[in-house]
Amino acid sequence: MAELESKSRRDFLSFAGKAGLSTLVAQAVGINLGVVDIVRAQTGKRGVDPFRFAIISDSHLYSIDNHKFDEQLITAVAQVNAMNPKPDFVVYGGDVAQNGTEDQLVKGKKILDSLSVPLKIIPGEHDWYLDMGGAWRGLFGEETWSFDHKGVHFIGMNSILVEDFWTGAGLSPKERMTVMEMLESPIPGPWGVHDKQLQWLADDIKGLAPDTPIVVFTHSPLWDYYPRWNFQTSDAPEIREILSKFENVMSYHGHVHQTLYNRIGNMSSVAAMSTSWPWPYPPVALAYPETQMNRADPSIATDGQGTQLIDLSADFEGLVQYKPFEDSLTPFMKEGFKV
Amino acid sequence: MALTTKQYGSIIAVVGITGAVAATSVALARAPFTEEELTQQMDALYAAAQKGYDIWHGSMPSMTTNGLACANCHPDTAASNPQTFPKYMTMYGKVVPWQEMVNWCIENPQLGERLDPDSEEMTAMKAYAMYLHRGKPIEPGLASRQTTPVVVEFGTGFKREPTGLGVDTREYEPDSNY
Repeated sequence: MAELESKSRRDFLSFAGKAGLSTLVAQAVGINLGVVDIVRAQTGKRGVDPFRFAIISDSHLYSIDNHKFDEQLITAVAQVNAMNPKPDFVVYGGDVAQNGTEDQLVKGKKILDSLSVPLKIIPGEHDWYLDMGGAWRGLFGEETWSFDHKGVHFIGMNSILVEDFWTGAGLSPKERMTVMEMLESPIPGPWGVHDKQLQWLADDIKGLAPDTPIVVFTHSPLWDYYPRWNFQTSDAPEIREILSKFENVMSYHGHVHQTLYNRIGNMSSVAAMSTSWPWPYPPVALAYPETQMNRADPSIATDGQGTQLIDLSADFEGLVQYKPFEDSLTPFMKEGFKV
Repeated sequence: MALTTKQYGSIIAVVGITGAVAATSVALARAPFTEEELTQQMDALYAAAQKGYDIWHGSMPSMTTNGLACANCHPDTAASNPQTFPKYMTMYGKVVPWQEMVNWCIENPQLGERLDPDSEEMTAMKAYAMYLHRGKPIEPGLASRQTTPVVVEFGTGFKREPTGLGVDTREYEPDSNY
């Protein structure tokens, strides 16, 4: 059994390592044999000063005092604060709140303020549709951003924008929010980043060289996983096209409340666990089923939840480690995997 | 006795006719219900599924004190695994029916009041969950594996009036096998 698992792991790593064309051979060799990445060492263009960052996502806080989800987000913050060495910063993957109310967002902000490292954050649909991001922006700032850190270009975008279904129907903000709160809601349809952010993205990366390390954050995955539950971003193909000139792009997202990996072209995609509840794997086959976590035990309230830690190397290789609250990971996932 | 070709042909003809009569008599047997009655029965099931869907998404306040509904963790009834019950559940230490697992979720993750397992509400929830697992193999006893429901392409996954809001405008057409 152990042999099978480690074989599966090797196969996965060699597969996952097939990144940008120019780095294909170097990466595969580097992963499998642990040798120095000669191609990158020679060019030295990427120049990442190695560091780590953490991801917390999907706390879905309710307005009720002392709700168990408050405690679970506090646990996530404590887990990140205890990481050694410390991550340089934390990215929050969206859905601080459950019903988008200001009190829920304020409660989340207060808990996240106890992080001992800086926070970057993008919104989820649960944060947004009561006041169309009003309270969220007031607390957390712009939802579309980019910054450079130790040689890596980080991008965050709001991927939960849907077409207006409420104005014509005369829905109240609360009714609109209620529609959006339901994962399998039949009404809103697929969401995305929409044209304005696509244009922003194209402008943002215009001057960057193809070997620039790119990390992009969105609430939803940048590939068609299970559109029924908005496990998708409708304009992900356009986003991938805009980013296609780069050798290696890492995408990290929330929303799916589970461990998950995928790769399309030059983009790897890694999901965050939630701190609230795990979501089931939908009825579709995964390209990398090794990255599924165990079925959460409903009798353990914090099973299937946790945080994420990503170590970026000098040649822009990411070691992804899920840090579950409970023992939720398969043997394959326990050691982390490289993207 | 040797049969002539003519006699042999007659026997075949008789057998053939008898067979045809038998087949016809099966086809002509009175259907247990008319198409109209069958439609009424399915509509009654869809009405129960609708009620179950509403409860699943939080229409019964008594079922929760912390805001959580079944749908928080089980969108489209996923991972509610109705086709795997009765099965052994560690929290009970014995084999329990699906309704009891629902009550466990109501009382623990949702901190609510359990339902009468024989109530109309529980039956409605089961109608919803089972309908979204139609055609899935019955697999009692798989406690640690997550099964999946059918793929729901639009709407709520069962027949009901579309709301007309957003993309929810499509009429449901029953699949031919059910």
